[in-house]
Amino acid sequence: MIEVEHLSKIYGSTAVIQDVTFSVEPGEIMGFLGPNGAGKTTTMRILAGFLPATRGTAKIAGFEVHEDSMRVRQKIGYLPEIPPLYSEMTIEGFLDFVARIKGVNAGDRPGRINYALEKCNLTPQRKILIRKLSKGFRQRVGIAQAIVHDPPVIILDEPTVGLDPKQIIDVRNLIRGLAGDHTVILSTHILPEVSATCDRVTIINKGSIVATNKPENLMSDLHISTSYDLETGGDYAHLTEILMAIPNLVNLTPIGTGLTDDGRFRVRVTAGTESSTGLDMGSEMSTALVTANIPLYEMRRIQATLEDVFLNLTTEDVEIPAEAQQVLPESASSAVQPEVRSDEEAL
Amino acid sequence: MNLIFANLIAIYRRELQNYVLTPWGYVIAGVFWLVSGFFFAVLYFNLIGQGLEFGSNPNAPAIDYAYELIRTFLRVLGQVVLFILPILSMSLYAEERKRGTLELLATSPVTNWAVAVAKLGAVVTYFGTVLLPVMAYQVFALQGANPPIALIPLFWGYFGLLLLATAMLSLGMFISSLTDNTIIAAIATFGLVLLLSVVDAIAANTSGVLADVLAHISLLKQYENLVQGVFDSSTLVAFGSYIFLGVFLTAQSVEALRFQRS
Repeated sequence: MIEVEHLSKIYGSTAVIQDVTFSVEPGEIMGFLGPNGAGKTTTMRILAGFLPATRGTAKIAGFEVHEDSMRVRQKIGYLPEIPPLYSEMTIEGFLDFVARIKGVNAGDRPGRINYALEKCNLTPQRKILIRKLSKGFRQRVGIAQAIVHDPPVIILDEPTVGLDPKQIIDVRNLIRGLAGDHTVILSTHILPEVSATCDRVTIINKGSIVATNKPENLMSDLHISTSYDLETGGDYAHLTEILMAIPNLVNLTPIGTGLTDDGRFRVRVTAGTESSTGLDMGSEMSTALVTANIPLYEMRRIQATLEDVFLNLTTEDVEIPAEAQQVLPESASSAVQPEVRSDEEAL
Repeated sequence: MNLIFANLIAIYRRELQNYVLTPWGYVIAGVFWLVSGFFFAVLYFNLIGQGLEFGSNPNAPAIDYAYELIRTFLRVLGQVVLFILPILSMSLYAEERKRGTLELLATSPVTNWAVAVAKLGAVVTYFGTVLLPVMAYQVFALQGANPPIALIPLFWGYFGLLLLATAMLSLGMFISSLTDNTIIAAIATFGLVLLLSVVDAIAANTSGVLADVLAHISLLKQYENLVQGVFDSSTLVAFGSYIFLGVFLTAQSVEALRFQRS
């Protein structure tokens, strides 16, 4: 339904997006994920026919967005980054205007307006002036104007930005409800959005596509390994010796200073990249520790989340100096610093 | 083609609604009526005074005072609207740019030309509606004039005023499409109005080919011709050219917006 090939947009000497290629199947919801400034909005604008691309082609329903602009415009619903609203109009009046300019027949118009109002939970507010609406409602009116003419393709640029958690859930459900009948492409920098709403995800960073896959496949695809956080007692040298003996264990690092206030050790162990061995490693470790008579206070499996995938792809690798990876329990025993929370909680 | 025409109507309707739904339309009409009414009252009582003075004098020159009043008043209106028009045209595109609604129009099946024509049509319709009561009270106030006022030159005069306004609004619309700041659009349009007045003044004070050329391109001079009842096709061509130029430049500037860095 959407085919983008080698798309580039260059302003002067800066490439905002470069050689972007992806496709979206009919009825699919594609998430376009990237940090701010990655080129998401630019890509959305090119797809919507608002910006011309410098190079490459983008086709919607078989029509090139720039060459067959008028035809493409009839086939898309587009929610820009800032919802385009006429504040002096009522919600209903505005949707009627949008339905008119999108070419909805006079006979179908009331039905389509009701449908859009219903889908976006705006029916009770239909007579209210847009000027008087809160941000969440405005965003919903923005989505309503994108679906009022029943377009086969819907382009949503950051549809949940500025909404409260309840509204975010509503909007996500709304978007999910569009799948099947409509092909949806949505951009976001919020990861849970993608796992919650999208069938597939394309990750863009610094103007280039870094990965495209189903959310659940991205992790194994990118060889993100499973880790465990352990809190144990006993002797540190003994502990490392026991743990390092476990096959598949590839890395052992202390968490924070590696010590708790109680003098217990906190370490993170990382399994090899094959996910099945990673999942088995928990029992192997607990057996080994119990056998070696090392008290185990806590063991937690850290599965790679989309966040890890995202960070892995979009941040440059920073080399950790070798000495920082060494645990020095003797010297650190008195001056224990506040513990650094593990990654998945910090995000 | 049908779709584009239907969209043109939709945008025209929305623009017109804008004047009804926001206080702007009422404020501008109110100020215009107040100022023009004041000038009309001054001219009118001046005329009555002259009438009393000459009425009893059998040697008084045979002047159609009512017609003179109409012409003077139209000239005054021509000056007054120059202050009103930049305010009407300033938000035509600047507001759309600021609110992001231009992105909606630019991604809908409607051409830049249709949008510009619809917007210009709506603002001219609004302005024409504002002029109607002014014309009506003038006809009403001069009902008792002897000889009776000639309605045809009066209509030509107002037609000329509408043409002048359309040309100014068209150029103002282009200026509005260059910025997303309505105040800048208004000031720049006002600057353009002043420039046209300067052109008019130079045309009046020089002679030869330059004067002819300037007189032809001077909107105010062309308007004066219509007020005087001098009507020829070159006047229509001059106004038509300005109107077309404004719409053309607007469509081009909106198109060029897409190529700018946003």
